[in-house]
Amino acid sequence: MAQEMRELVVATASRWSGVEPPNEVALELAAELQAIVVAFEAVRGGLRFEDEPAGFEAALQACKETP
Amino acid sequence: MGATLVEDIDTLASLSLVEAAAAVADGSISAVALTEACIARTKRLEPKVNSVIWLDEAGALEAAEAADAARRAGAALGPLHGVPMAHKDMYYKAGQRSSCGSAIRRDFRPSITATVLERLEGAGAVTFGGLNMAEFAQNPTGHNRHYGDCLNPWNAAHITGGSSSGSGAAVAARFAFMALGSDTGGSIRLPASACGVTGLKPTQTRISRYGVMPLSFSCDNVGPLARSARDCARVMTVMAGHDPKDPTSAREAVPDYEAALDGDLRGLRIGVPETWFLDGVAPSVLAAMEAALAVLQARGASVTRITLPLIPELAACSSVVSRCEAATIHGEWMREYPQDYAVHLSARLFPGYGIPATHYIEALSRRGPLLQEFCRQVFSDYDLLVTPTIATELPTRAETDIDQGPPGTAAKFMAVASNTRLINYLGLPAISVPCGFDSLGLPVGLQIIGRPFAEARVMQAADAFQQDTDWHLRMPSL
Repeated sequence: MAQEMRELVVATASRWSGVEPPNEVALELAAELQAIVVAFEAVRGGLRFEDEPAGFEAALQACKETP
Repeated sequence: MGATLVEDIDTLASLSLVEAAAAVADGSISAVALTEACIARTKRLEPKVNSVIWLDEAGALEAAEAADAARRAGAALGPLHGVPMAHKDMYYKAGQRSSCGSAIRRDFRPSITATVLERLEGAGAVTFGGLNMAEFAQNPTGHNRHYGDCLNPWNAAHITGGSSSGSGAAVAARFAFMALGSDTGGSIRLPASACGVTGLKPTQTRISRYGVMPLSFSCDNVGPLARSARDCARVMTVMAGHDPKDPTSAREAVPDYEAALDGDLRGLRIGVPETWFLDGVAPSVLAAMEAALAVLQARGASVTRITLPLIPELAACSSVVSRCEAATIHGEWMREYPQDYAVHLSARLFPGYGIPATHYIEALSRRGPLLQEFCRQVFSDYDLLVTPTIATELPTRAETDIDQGPPGTAAKFMAVASNTRLINYLGLPAISVPCGFDSLGLPVGLQIIGRPFAEARVMQAADAFQQDTDWHLRMPSL
């Protein structure tokens, strides 16, 4: 699975961004994205249709301490 | 340099920022003497610390002379009048070099000035240098291939923490009374912890980022590293507040943070997370934290052990946002000059080009709802959270040197920031204060986290702790 992820990241980075793996460590870290995929799979189902990035500043205000 | 002169310089340099400002204001010390003392101490001890990228001795002395002249003329004095500072070398000042700790920007001279520098200097601060840092503010250890690793003043073999490595080391070494850092995943709190100083990451949007090198526009924060929470409160009152030049900065009113430092913790409810933040905690770090909690309890706070909610969601999302944003910012250079980056930096940037945009948007989309749910579940019952800033004993530079180390070194490198990066995703304010030493004799930091815009409460607790302890007064032998 790690090898598959490594190859996927290398292909995506090259095709979409024109960036090639700069060194061996980059390939090591690319393979570790598999853990993030698993983490995202584990939290699926929690996002509402209306949620959008613009809500964060409003959330900061909504969560501040009230006297 | 004679022994007496060295002692005089070291005495001046060992003052706190608040003490130094008071001494300049009442005329017992001149701004010139203070600035000369800081620069002389820096020049004498810098080879043991490597915290400075550039010094502007002439410019600083000119500013200090102007500060003294203003005082003699009876001008109104700002709260930082005549106080020497140096900052992470990523705060732009028009015409002044700003290397960002990189080879790519080694000779970069911006045409604009950062709002925070204008505010600090408007309050009377004297800037005398640009400080070492992780290349483009992107590592938690302080390694730097281009300018040399910044060296921990307590033990040069160990990391300073990063990315504001020079800021932590220069304040610990008593070169500067305060140094700006920046914090995207822990970059103020980690060097504060590792170097035994106090560092505050404010609420996301609390301070303008205009004229500050970007790393991750969603998670970047400007903040101080200083010798105490009181020193941080003094500069926070100067720096915080909306800036028309940075539309993302909050329009929240700025309190007098220093006035809120009353030491009264009666009724304060502290939650201590037992999951994630204590994973792999070193016994010496845990003991320091427990002793610190006892101090806070003696001041009237209650302490409850808790299990934090939403950790898997926060860990997943926080690991995506800054990776994608940093990869985007560095795209042109990663195509044109990949060889000009250190191995650890280009290696960490690279995976960002392989993450689907939908996951980046998902991570951003979840941010507001996750913050609200986190606050509902946690801050309805607790006012503050307390954790170790770094759970493990402080690693050496060699143990965490990705560029030179064996495969697997990256895991040790990344683990340094495991207790700080989730807080950036949530946008919460957090401070690190010294609370002891690990079994290797390196400083241990206590992280105090509050709800959005609760900087006053965070610094109040930190200051109360420092009223009863002297960890923040300990100085490394250089």
